[in-house]
Amino acid sequence: MRLRVDPVACEGVGLCAQLADRTITLDRWGYPILASELDERDLPDARRAVRGCPRRALWLEETVAQH
Amino acid sequence: MSPTATWTVPGPGLPPEPAAVTAGGDRLLLTEVRLAPIGPADPLGTDLRESWALHAGRLGARPVGTTALLDEATAFGLTGYGGAHVPAAVKWRAAAAGSGPLTVVANGAESEPVAGKDGTLMRQRPHLVLDGLELLAESLGASRAVVWLHGDDEGARSALRHALIERPRVPGAVRLEIVAGPVHYLAGESSAIARALAGHPALPVVRRRPTDPAAPRTLVHNVETLARLALLARGRTPAATRLLTVLGDRRAVVEVDDSMVFAELLSRLGWTVAPQAVLLGGYGGLWASWDRVADQPLHEGRLRAQGLTLGAGVVIPLAAGRCGLRETAAIARYLASMSARQCGPCAFGLPSLADSCEALADGRPGHGRLTSVLGDAALVEGRGACHHPDGATRMVASAIATFDADATAHAAGRPCPASGYVGLPGLPS
Repeated sequence: MRLRVDPVACEGVGLCAQLADRTITLDRWGYPILASELDERDLPDARRAVRGCPRRALWLEETVAQH
Repeated sequence: MSPTATWTVPGPGLPPEPAAVTAGGDRLLLTEVRLAPIGPADPLGTDLRESWALHAGRLGARPVGTTALLDEATAFGLTGYGGAHVPAAVKWRAAAAGSGPLTVVANGAESEPVAGKDGTLMRQRPHLVLDGLELLAESLGASRAVVWLHGDDEGARSALRHALIERPRVPGAVRLEIVAGPVHYLAGESSAIARALAGHPALPVVRRRPTDPAAPRTLVHNVETLARLALLARGRTPAATRLLTVLGDRRAVVEVDDSMVFAELLSRLGWTVAPQAVLLGGYGGLWASWDRVADQPLHEGRLRAQGLTLGAGVVIPLAAGRCGLRETAAIARYLASMSARQCGPCAFGLPSLADSCEALADGRPGHGRLTSVLGDAALVEGRGACHHPDGATRMVASAIATFDADATAHAAGRPCPASGYVGLPGLPS
């Protein structure tokens, strides 16, 4: 599983980094940098970040292999 | 300004040749052309357009588009010619995995400022392109078929409109539309086209995994891809050629066998002094030193094996005596200005990257110059809704690698003598 962000919807509010501080950091302009793969123990915080984003810019998805 | 200004391309260049059926298959262009250094692909000199009569006389009637045609094209290994070289079958499979209304798009919005091959192909052989579009629409059961152009490409629009008037109407067939989009750099991006055709602004969008199989589908192919498909449909082999735009004092749009090497390409176009490097693919492309490519064939697969690509078929040689870092900084500033500004990392990161590149080009002393350029690039890559920022970051990284000696000197406060001059067209100076 991994977090994905819609960079068009994201406005750099930064709540996600507060809610999931182990897996989300903010770049110097306030936009989230997401981990490539989440551990089981990170999922509850990740779900909180998804729900807490005021722009609904985050979602969780299964990591699939790219061709 | 360097005394050996070799932006000029002396000599007559390659002699014009009509679309020839050679042992190696059908070529695409009627003749090579010369264009102004920047702007729409309006030829300097005779403007040739293949009429319906000539097209039908040369190739015969168009067969009906079926899935069998797509299977044959897949077996042939048809790839895309819009820059990414995705196998066409990959896109067809993705498009077929849905039941909503399907729009197929011939993408003629050639956004790379130097690129002119799509504009040339549409002007010279509009019927071949339209055949490919019709065949694809028929094979996939599309309800809408569109040729998508930049708003300022009057020449292509005129050629296609005349072609549409000439074409016999096939009963029950999808009506072909010519749609002129905005002029900006991102108007040729697939997701932007899909959005625009659905009535929204022509800006890229991120697709979350679609949950609704009945959602409308949009399939976008470059016009050259569709032209090659149109030849395959008639059981004819498209020639193993590349359509290239080569920049000199003017642009040359040529069709060459992909076995030709770079050195032969430039020498046939009149270059007498070897360049120091080439920028491949356009302003969002990759730099390579001349030594690295001189003896390499213009073959996409062989180039990819070396970490290079011709992208949309653009070759921009950089003469010895120019400053590659200054040109790179100007390109970085141009690409930053072309951001859709929808995504923070691109909207902020690309101007920041351009700032770092300019500081390096100026030779402003400061430790960590190279680190900050590469760091800025790494921070932006992959974090936009489209691949625009990635083009910029990879172009800059390839410049640092290619002009490594200059980069070291510049970073130490010793810029090269030509570092105040930008020779590439269409860039802020």
